[in-house]
Amino acid sequence: MAQIPNLDNAPLNLAALREQSQKDLLNILKSIRGKKCVVIDPKLAGTLSLILQTSLLKEYGAELRLLSAEPLQTECAKILYLIRSELKFMKLIASQIKNDEPKGLQREFFLYFVPRRTVACEKILEEEKVHQKLTLGEYPLYLVPLDEDVICFELDHSLQECLIEGDTSSVWHVAKAIHKLEFAFGVIPNVRAKGVASTKAAELLNSMQQEDPVNMDDMGTPEINTVILLDREVDLVTPMCSQLTYEGLLDEMLQINNGSVEVDATIMGAQQDGKKLYKEIRDLNFEVVVQVLRQKATSIQQDYAEVKSTNTQSVSELKDFVKRLHSLPEIARHVHLAQHLQSFTGKPSFHARLDIEQTILEVQNFEICFEYIEEMIHKQEPIENVLRLLVLLSLTNAGLPKKNFDYLRREILHSYGFEHMPLLYNLEKAGLFKRQESRSNWIGITRALQLIVDVNDTAKRSIEELLKLLPGPHLDLKRGSSAINSSLDVHQGLGLQQSIDRVGHRSLVLVVFIGGVTFAEIAALRFLSAQEGMGYDFLVATTKVVNGNTILRPIITNSKEVMI
Amino acid sequence: MGYRVELVPIRLDPHVRGLTVPSRSPRQSTSFLTAHLARDAAAASPPAMSSSVSVAAEWDLLSDRFYRRITVYSPLPWSPPSAAAASSSSTSGGGGGGGGSGGVLGRLDLSTHIVAAAPFGGPIAAVRDDSKIVQLHSEPSRRRLLLYSSSGHPIASSPWPPQLPRLHSLAFSSSLNLVALLSDGSLLRFRLPDLKPNPSPTPVPLLPTSSGGVADAAFWGGGVAVLTEDNRVVVTTDIDAADPHPREFADPCVGQDEQVLCMAVVEPQFVMSGSPEVLLAVGDRVLAVDEDDVQTLGLELEIGPVQKMAVSPNGKLLAAFAHDGRLLVIPTDFSKIIFEYECDSALPPDQIAWCGLDSVLLYWSEALLMVGPNGDPVLYNYDEPIKLIPECDGVRILSNSNMEFLHRVPDSTTSIFGIGSMSPAALLYDARDHYDKQSAKAYDNYQLISSSLPEAIEACIDAAGHEFDISRQHALLRAATYGLAFCSQFPHERFQEMCKTLRVLNAVRDPQIGMPLTIQQYKLLTAPVLIGRLINANQHLLALRISEYLNLNPEVVIMHWACEKITASAAIPDTVLLEGLLDKLRLCKGISYAAVAAHADNSGRRKLAAMLIPLLLSIDEQDKALSKAIESGDTDLVYLVLFHIWQKVAVEKSAPLDFFGVINARPLARDLFMAYARHSKHEALKDFFLSTGRLQDAAFLLLKESRELERNPMASKGSPLHGPQVRLIEQAHRLFAETKEHVFESKASEEHAKLLRSQHELEVSTKQAIFVGSSVSDTIKTCIAMGNERAALKVKSEFKVPDKRWYWLKSCALATVGNWDALEKFSKERRPPGGYKPFVEACIDAGQKTEALKHMHGSRWQRKLQKQLHRSKIVMSYLVA
Repeated sequence: MAQIPNLDNAPLNLAALREQSQKDLLNILKSIRGKKCVVIDPKLAGTLSLILQTSLLKEYGAELRLLSAEPLQTECAKILYLIRSELKFMKLIASQIKNDEPKGLQREFFLYFVPRRTVACEKILEEEKVHQKLTLGEYPLYLVPLDEDVICFELDHSLQECLIEGDTSSVWHVAKAIHKLEFAFGVIPNVRAKGVASTKAAELLNSMQQEDPVNMDDMGTPEINTVILLDREVDLVTPMCSQLTYEGLLDEMLQINNGSVEVDATIMGAQQDGKKLYKEIRDLNFEVVVQVLRQKATSIQQDYAEVKSTNTQSVSELKDFVKRLHSLPEIARHVHLAQHLQSFTGKPSFHARLDIEQTILEVQNFEICFEYIEEMIHKQEPIENVLRLLVLLSLTNAGLPKKNFDYLRREILHSYGFEHMPLLYNLEKAGLFKRQESRSNWIGITRALQLIVDVNDTAKRSIEELLKLLPGPHLDLKRGSSAINSSLDVHQGLGLQQSIDRVGHRSLVLVVFIGGVTFAEIAALRFLSAQEGMGYDFLVATTKVVNGNTILRPIITNSKEVMI
Repeated sequence: MGYRVELVPIRLDPHVRGLTVPSRSPRQSTSFLTAHLARDAAAASPPAMSSSVSVAAEWDLLSDRFYRRITVYSPLPWSPPSAAAASSSSTSGGGGGGGGSGGVLGRLDLSTHIVAAAPFGGPIAAVRDDSKIVQLHSEPSRRRLLLYSSSGHPIASSPWPPQLPRLHSLAFSSSLNLVALLSDGSLLRFRLPDLKPNPSPTPVPLLPTSSGGVADAAFWGGGVAVLTEDNRVVVTTDIDAADPHPREFADPCVGQDEQVLCMAVVEPQFVMSGSPEVLLAVGDRVLAVDEDDVQTLGLELEIGPVQKMAVSPNGKLLAAFAHDGRLLVIPTDFSKIIFEYECDSALPPDQIAWCGLDSVLLYWSEALLMVGPNGDPVLYNYDEPIKLIPECDGVRILSNSNMEFLHRVPDSTTSIFGIGSMSPAALLYDARDHYDKQSAKAYDNYQLISSSLPEAIEACIDAAGHEFDISRQHALLRAATYGLAFCSQFPHERFQEMCKTLRVLNAVRDPQIGMPLTIQQYKLLTAPVLIGRLINANQHLLALRISEYLNLNPEVVIMHWACEKITASAAIPDTVLLEGLLDKLRLCKGISYAAVAAHADNSGRRKLAAMLIPLLLSIDEQDKALSKAIESGDTDLVYLVLFHIWQKVAVEKSAPLDFFGVINARPLARDLFMAYARHSKHEALKDFFLSTGRLQDAAFLLLKESRELERNPMASKGSPLHGPQVRLIEQAHRLFAETKEHVFESKASEEHAKLLRSQHELEVSTKQAIFVGSSVSDTIKTCIAMGNERAALKVKSEFKVPDKRWYWLKSCALATVGNWDALEKFSKERRPPGGYKPFVEACIDAGQKTEALKHMHGSRWQRKLQKQLHRSKIVMSYLVA
């Protein structure tokens, strides 16, 4: 069961934003009198759980249903569809409404689009001839706080839409969401962007400000100092590599959805109830986490032993001890989780995979990498895993030589079926897996770290210095230099330059990832922000929290279904 | 020479002839037609003038200027047949001829009709004057309102509304509405060309009820001044408006015993105050009446009672015929008498008109006298009634048989054709003549005038512009080209411009159109107004041609045509009409469909209007709108525009190629369209891909369809060879093969089809439906697992499965079914290409650790395995475990 994130320590008043979204939703419910059946699309259900307790909906006379292809089973005479404005949902709605017709049911239908009505959706409703039967509305939910320092735009398909379908709706959406933030927190004075979509979003943000300006008179200084927009496309290498922070691993292995993981009852544990400990360990390397947990446990054990052996403690000492005992269930939970994770990380295949990722990133031995992947295909390992390495190999080598490219593609089709042809075509279109046409500049990039030259002209030395600041988890794997920092060095440059003249005042930087961000990257930003002398707090905003699998999986399924 | 002189009137392309408005009453139109044909036969020979006759012989000298009468149209179709040959002396139209084919509508006799003619070669309207006793020639006694072009071609007629007060006078307003002033002082207005009462069939009163009716009236383009029976002046300056806002001017205080002898109006544009000034001749004085003042003029000039007045075209001079037979020309402020001429007649002329700015025409029955500033006047005799139609540069003379134009011979023409003229222009004209006759004199002439060549050329071009006769235009322009050949500094555009203008003029002067415009009138009228007049006369095709020729926006023409078409096509079903409309509307980019739709709506054609609404976005607007939407970055807006355009394509039933073209040029629009079409418009999407050359995308679409078939068991299972599915894949294969870049996909889909066939055969031979839909590898595994090694090998060779993979597949399959013997045998066949790893992993994955160990120990590849162990940690760890 997902929980509403705690926002007490957020650098912005995100709670107010969330309350507003809550209120908007409840108002919609109130506007429809009496009992009603609220049908929401599955993704939105998760999103809403980050805003309010679902039990609250019941208080407003609503029974919840998930949208599906099945006919709607409910006694209610009023049906409220709360659906993200995606084309694919419209036919489902239409078929549910049509399903009622022959039964002679007198139902009232309401359709609230999230976050806004779109012509294309209405067009499909029109074509399905149900347009007239619906009362249409909007629920302007453009963003949801995921955590104190993470905002999500809930645009799951942003990356594939931009890269493959050419549909840049999400870019407009991101700009709109930031503009909404500006209405609450003032116009952000500095906007930096890297990448096609980001640049476009920055432009849109600008024109939105012109058309619908935020009135700055009744606001103080803007609370957000800078917004940095980054395309995921700029750095697709990072998400393709395995994450090794605790939270990252959880996401890779168990998949975090709306701030929670689903685990077997036998393993037990929802991760976010005991905020304190989780906050402490989530960004650490998993190996370190195990140690920390052990330490915690043993120290409590020692305390316990002390309590037991001596009778000399004061009452206050005892109180301290009891307090520490309170954290025991949380520790236990994480120990269970860690144990569960270790059952994955302990496997030789996991290490083999890390090894090969490392080899790919080093771009030294193409043959080994190639054969490794070839073998994976021959063994018919899950296609996601194969593609993840293949994409990594293709990205670091600027594509594969034609011979290898065609060979691997054929092997994939033979092993997994010809229905994956569109998938390969889409990956090629997106530049994720393609034929080599030019020499790779990957080595140059890893050495010079000039991935973001156009946004940031900081001297190279300072970047390198800052990279040295990057701690454990990444350094352990020696991939820190390659992956995470693509986004980091911007902020670092920024931080160095400006923290000097802004001593004592930490200003807020909104880092927007269009196309998704990984937990490991969020961890890196938190780490950076925690450095001494850093003049900035970071607030991360993203279309979705991703990892390699969650990037590839929708492309794989959609290639079979809709996209070409 | 380098110049081709092309003066043929703008031709009407036969295949665009559709641009006509059907007459609403078919019966009427046939009678038009018969009238036409009959008259056409009579008018077959054009009044071409032979150039051998000295041109100047036809000129008349007045003062020191030459004047000429040009016969523009002769004979007029309405003149009775007997009058066509020679004007008979009988004034009552046409004797017994009326019973013939001329018919009722084709006949017009000026003497028995109240006639109005619009300036600038406009149409002629007539109603029988029922104050006169008229002999009816087999025509209905009921009066009709008749409308003709200046060439006498009937345009329309409608019964004169019954039970109206007597008609006082008819006139055209400058926007070409026909205005009828009734004797009680009310106005009835008619729309052209169909003579529909506009805005309403009930007359609008101008005068207060007590005024006693109209005594006299004077029209100008924008209004009318009415003198009432009780000698008051009421003026409207807004004659076309639904409410003409009549104003009573200052009371001229004409005594009971006095009589207003005549009246004239100085048009508002010539008066400082901006409102018209009405001149009334009362007794021996002239009163200038305006809104709040009456001035008495001319007493000191001792003019005496004025019987007839006319204001000059520029509003500065007044021609007044005094009771003693004097014609006086006076400035309108009556400061002096500029000149006077004693006429023989004490009777006032029937008509008085200015011919240009420096002569005055006086018409008494049978005699037309042209008076100039000095010297003898010129007398023309007419044995039939005429009507003087003043134009800005001359006077048109309408008679029962002819339409003539009387004007001062332009200076350029005089310099060329004047008798004995030795002007450079005349010499140039002569030179061309010699040149054509291949006479060396041509060059002599050229040498004489070489210094003043530009002015000679200019004169020739200018003179050509003033000619009505096409052959003479031609001759003059040819003379100009001769000069141009020697004169590079002369602006050639001037010549081209003139040719263009003349083509237009010749086109509208054609008797079928009947607008005898002079070049000066044309310039004053301007081309857009001319086009407006043409479309008002339902000459849409010519209007369109001229618009195109002069690079003017044809929108007005097409728009008007569309509206007229809608009005006139009440009986045509909506869809047919829409198609007809769209056919033409498409001719014009950027046309506003909104106006057409609005008109359809007003004409009670709701449904048609609804069909037009999606077309509101014209192509141009579409383009603009689409660009704007894309610029906004808001994909919703882009969709909005896309759907508009798309709907338009659907309604127009036009090939969507234009649409595809428009969106294909814009990646965002294109991609959005594709995204949308994937959800609901497969066929359109396929069309789009094929028409824009995205064959690979079309192929992928086919693959998708094939998968949908696969998912639908009814469509695939049971049909032999999964026919439809395979067929689609093969189609896709062929599409891929058409582009060089998709060889891989082409081969892959070929293999896919092959696989499906093989799988089907396997299912038939094994009687197990477990193959179709699985991959090549899975098929091999299944075969091996079933113990059908031969089938597996066949698939292997058919799909050229590399040995490396083969080893993985076979060992995995054997381990899955626990066929360890076979696995061992397989391992012993020969050295595996990729090492023994497949065997080990297969065993381990199958969960048969001990089995694996046993086999490893007991097998001859154990040794080899040992070597590999230090490399393979995986195996090691399990072996140790």
